[in-house]
Amino acid sequence: MRLGKRYFALLLGGSLVLVLVAGLLLAQMGQGSYAPGTLGHLQQTPPVALGDDSVYQVSAYPLYPPELAEGEGRAETEGFCSLCHSTRYITTQPPLPAATWEAEVTKMRKTFGAPIPDTSAVVIIKYLQAHYTLDTRK
Amino acid sequence: MGIRTPANRSLLFSRRSLLRLLGAAGSTLALGAVAPRSGAAQQSSAMPSFTGPGASPYWNSVGPLVSEPQKAPLLLLTDRGVQLETPRYYFQTAFTPNHAFYVRWHLEGIPNAVDLKSWRLHVEGNVAKPISYSLADLIRKFPAESIAAVNQCSGNSRSRLQPRVSGGQWGNGAMGNARWTGVRLRELLQAAAPKTGSLQIQFQGLESGGGPEGYGSHFFLKSFDLANPVLDECIVAYSMNGEPLPMLNGFPVRLVVPGYFATYWMKCLTWIRVLDKTDDNFWMKTAYRIPDTPRGNTTPDDVKAGIVKMIPVNRMPVRSFLISPDVDAKIPAGMPVQIRGIAFSGYGGVAKVDVSTDGLKTWQPARLGEDFGPYSFQTWEFTWTPKAPGRYTIAARASDSTGNIQPDQPVWNPGGYLWNRIERQDHFVGAAE
Repeated sequence: MRLGKRYFALLLGGSLVLVLVAGLLLAQMGQGSYAPGTLGHLQQTPPVALGDDSVYQVSAYPLYPPELAEGEGRAETEGFCSLCHSTRYITTQPPLPAATWEAEVTKMRKTFGAPIPDTSAVVIIKYLQAHYTLDTRK
Repeated sequence: MGIRTPANRSLLFSRRSLLRLLGAAGSTLALGAVAPRSGAAQQSSAMPSFTGPGASPYWNSVGPLVSEPQKAPLLLLTDRGVQLETPRYYFQTAFTPNHAFYVRWHLEGIPNAVDLKSWRLHVEGNVAKPISYSLADLIRKFPAESIAAVNQCSGNSRSRLQPRVSGGQWGNGAMGNARWTGVRLRELLQAAAPKTGSLQIQFQGLESGGGPEGYGSHFFLKSFDLANPVLDECIVAYSMNGEPLPMLNGFPVRLVVPGYFATYWMKCLTWIRVLDKTDDNFWMKTAYRIPDTPRGNTTPDDVKAGIVKMIPVNRMPVRSFLISPDVDAKIPAGMPVQIRGIAFSGYGGVAKVDVSTDGLKTWQPARLGEDFGPYSFQTWEFTWTPKAPGRYTIAARASDSTGNIQPDQPVWNPGGYLWNRIERQDHFVGAAE
């Protein structure tokens, strides 16, 4: 039993080494080429406790907050925009003209009734224009 | 060397050769060569986080795969409201699995739980007999009707538009086909007996947002004229592909509007309201509107000039999609490969799909798969044997039974709706000897 386990471990470890060594030797032949991957970014959603009652439910919807560009106005943008929606609505847009960003903020305030004071709206528009236009998006 | 047949694998993995390798090469050398490094290498091998200002060249949107309840990993557009796109490979079949079906909500307040003890579908408003139904009522008291129908977001493929417009930057995966089963909307309506003078029927689900009352950010509401013939085909569906609807796709019931864009397919449908006036809420009067022009096409200049008459988005124009092979498959010359795809139309079924393998110069008919009805995905297949190495542009073009043929001209309108240009992709054919 013990011997079997050890043999198995040896086999496993050995296979790994074999693959890696083979990778080194054969990389130029277009074989065994690997690049570091990204682990841990796709956790499963947790299970929910279900019963035979009349309630049908799912776990909390996961938040995936993006990293907004650093700069003046980021806090206001994060704070006010997040009142109603994720700031991914910003980062997933293509680069947009400066006038479009101004129109977007105006739409949020006038059409959707977002409670953004005039002074903060100016800050947010400037921030979006400084980081998310054709000329400024990185 | 390099060919991993069962024979040489067993040879390589023999105990003796393993020991020899361990001794000779040494684990440190091997491990050091591929030791994980920091983020830079990882990012360079991932998709970009956004596309533009040009048209997105990708079939799907570029967001990361994420986990959501009751779902396989899907492509993230936004997490609150939830917008998720279906990866291309799920479209190899006529029916899209529920766990892969795309998701598009407008407001953040969507249900995590529904208690069927208290949940009721209310038929109310300008009716003589307001009625409320439990889910059990809907299942037991009415004959079950089924229909295969494509649900496609009005903004599907928005990332193709030039110039780009703001909004969800969908690739082609904001669509899905399911077999929907439920109750005919007309039966529910008749039972409530709309009064004379009724003009429209309004739908509301369990979706709300943080905005003030009376604004589009508070409730999501959609309406039809009572005279619209599509109401005869609408189903209030409690079953999707033979299963309960996923919460993110509208449990317990959603409206199915065959042939129409998904904006009308109200999820978690809870109120059916008969109106004696035209609905002027934001989601009808301002949003989801298209130019009243051929294909809904216009220009930024005409919009700026204020000369474009806008109407509510309605039926889905004919489309076809190349599903496989994917662009990353290089094809050996002389080898027959199957080009496979799907097609659909909101104007009465797919009549024909043509395939071009010479950059849209000549077209040949594809073989159509099983017919699941005029509103379903229609699968198709075409055998292509590229004779010589080179770069080939393959394309698919569908025609519907109304006579509409997919054009090769782009579409532009400020909402980014109705994209249905012929899809194409480039393949390298390589030498096979």
